[in-house]
Amino acid sequence: MSSRIAPQAATQPLLQIERLQVHYGSVQALAGVSLQVHRGELVTLLGSNGAGKSTTLRAISRLEPASGGRILWHGANLAAVPAHRTLKLGIGHCPEGRRLLNRQSVAFNLELGAYLRRDREAIAADLERCYGLFPRLAERRQQQAGALSGGEQQMLAIARALMGRPELLMLDEPSLGLAPKLVAEVMTVLAELHANGQTILLVEQNAQAALEIADRGYVLEAGRIQLQDNATALLRNPQLKAAYLGG
Amino acid sequence: MIEALLQTLLNGAASGGVYALVALGYTLIFSVLGVINFAQGALFSLGGYLTYLFLGGKIGVNGALPGWGLPVGLPFWLALLVAALGSGAVGLLVERIAFAPLRRRGAEPLLSLITSLGAGVVLVNLLQLLMGAEGYAFPQGAAGLAHLPESLLIGGARIRTIQVLLLAISALAVAGLSLWLENSRSGKAMRAVAEDATTATLLGINSVAVVRLAFLLSGMLAGLGGGLIGMSVSLAGPYFGISYGLKGLAVLVLGGLGSVPGAIVGGLVMGLAEALIPAEASGWRDALAFAILFAVLVLRPSGLLGRRQLEKV
Ligand SMILES: Nc1ncnc2c1ncn2[C@@H]1O[C@H](COP(=O)(O)OP(=O)(O)O)[C@@H](O)[C@H]1O
Ligand SMILES: [Mg+2]
Repeated sequence: MSSRIAPQAATQPLLQIERLQVHYGSVQALAGVSLQVHRGELVTLLGSNGAGKSTTLRAISRLEPASGGRILWHGANLAAVPAHRTLKLGIGHCPEGRRLLNRQSVAFNLELGAYLRRDREAIAADLERCYGLFPRLAERRQQQAGALSGGEQQMLAIARALMGRPELLMLDEPSLGLAPKLVAEVMTVLAELHANGQTILLVEQNAQAALEIADRGYVLEAGRIQLQDNATALLRNPQLKAAYLGG
Repeated sequence: MIEALLQTLLNGAASGGVYALVALGYTLIFSVLGVINFAQGALFSLGGYLTYLFLGGKIGVNGALPGWGLPVGLPFWLALLVAALGSGAVGLLVERIAFAPLRRRGAEPLLSLITSLGAGVVLVNLLQLLMGAEGYAFPQGAAGLAHLPESLLIGGARIRTIQVLLLAISALAVAGLSLWLENSRSGKAMRAVAEDATTATLLGINSVAVVRLAFLLSGMLAGLGGGLIGMSVSLAGPYFGISYGLKGLAVLVLGGLGSVPGAIVGGLVMGLAEALIPAEASGWRDALAFAILFAVLVLRPSGLLGRRQLEKV
């Protein structure tokens, strides 16, 4: 999916969030979050339950309106973009809890992932690529998505997001509810995608697993960024160790 | 004997087809918004009157413009189509007036039951103002039906041609709608919105446009039903669509809320059951319809083909 906005300086972040605020009624969920994602990076956004991670992704996808600050995509403000246009601009969002079309087949879910695309041959090729990445989906392509195991559902959610060929792939807690072995499997796939050049913004509570594959990380607490650093540095950070890394 | 039975079954299937059209109209809107559009019966009436006017019918003595008529006399299939489009357009207007403002303000969706009922009442009263409360029979010559034989010989039985047409046209509409939902890009988008509007949005689907499309199609189905009934029976007055709207509601629940095959099967079951009631006992027809509904709901609370409430994870 090519972007219509020409990249300016090589240093311009793909996604730049500046002092973003989001309110749910009178409750402030984000109190001025700033973060950047550069092309080709795998950035992780960490934090405990209720910190505001999902809200951040939902604001980027324009599912929640910002009450302050701005979100720049290729340097252009997203404020006036309706939610159903963000994927067209190149922002793919694999939402919390997978949100599959549970009554529809695996194949239908993947087909809808490519809803905006018209390049039939490339879609067919991407479909095969997804089935190659997740062989278990290929075996179950005619099954109802709701009948898959938790791990398979997560694979399907990721594959569906990939079918939209997003320039930025945002994932909201893909490890949630998965056994450790499956978490490792999901992280391996994300690392592979990253190695192939896919830009990724990964929201996680499982800091250890996310930091092992990420370039950089941010730690969100009560709607504010508390820490930001390289992944390797964060893995050694005593504060983070105490709070999230179990030691 | 055979002849009478065949005629009875066909009558049942024909009105069942119309019930299915109405129920499908409800189904489309229920799937995408989770609410019932109570203006559906009024759109049914509207479709009947529009068909009458497009066939070249004149306004009666109690109407606003007695003796006035459209300067056209379309063939019946074209009149049906144009009337259905007209009802669809008014369906869109109902969405604008009775549904969209509530959604924009994040109001309780149940409130739209009241606003849509209000829109329906206004529409029926406008029809009454324009056309008067009297009944109308469709103009025979202009209908383009005049050169069709009054009845057909099928399997040794004489069947009223209009019933065959009724059944064929509603079957075509139902099949067309099902194929469209199953195979077209916009049909798939509608299925996605029906299941999860947020997910659909993230996949690039404009769910507001899909909702509007549902209202357009739903209004068209109601309008088509009204035109067909007007043609086979007559227009009994501006309220005639309301009873079909209620019957369609019963069919909707009978078949299973939100299920397309359920609306079709439910419509046929209802139509056939009614037709099997002998003419002497015709006063019991509506009672029977709701007795069937009651029995089915006791045995299967989610309707004939409704999903059981298991899969909510
Ligand atoms: N729809 C909502 N209505 C009201 N408050 C919400 C809603 N969604 C989230 N919140 C609140 O906003 C805060 C951030 O939530 P969220 O972004 O979901 O956190 P996280 O994804 O990090 O667990 C929490 O305090 C949560 O209770
Ligand atoms: Mg969350």
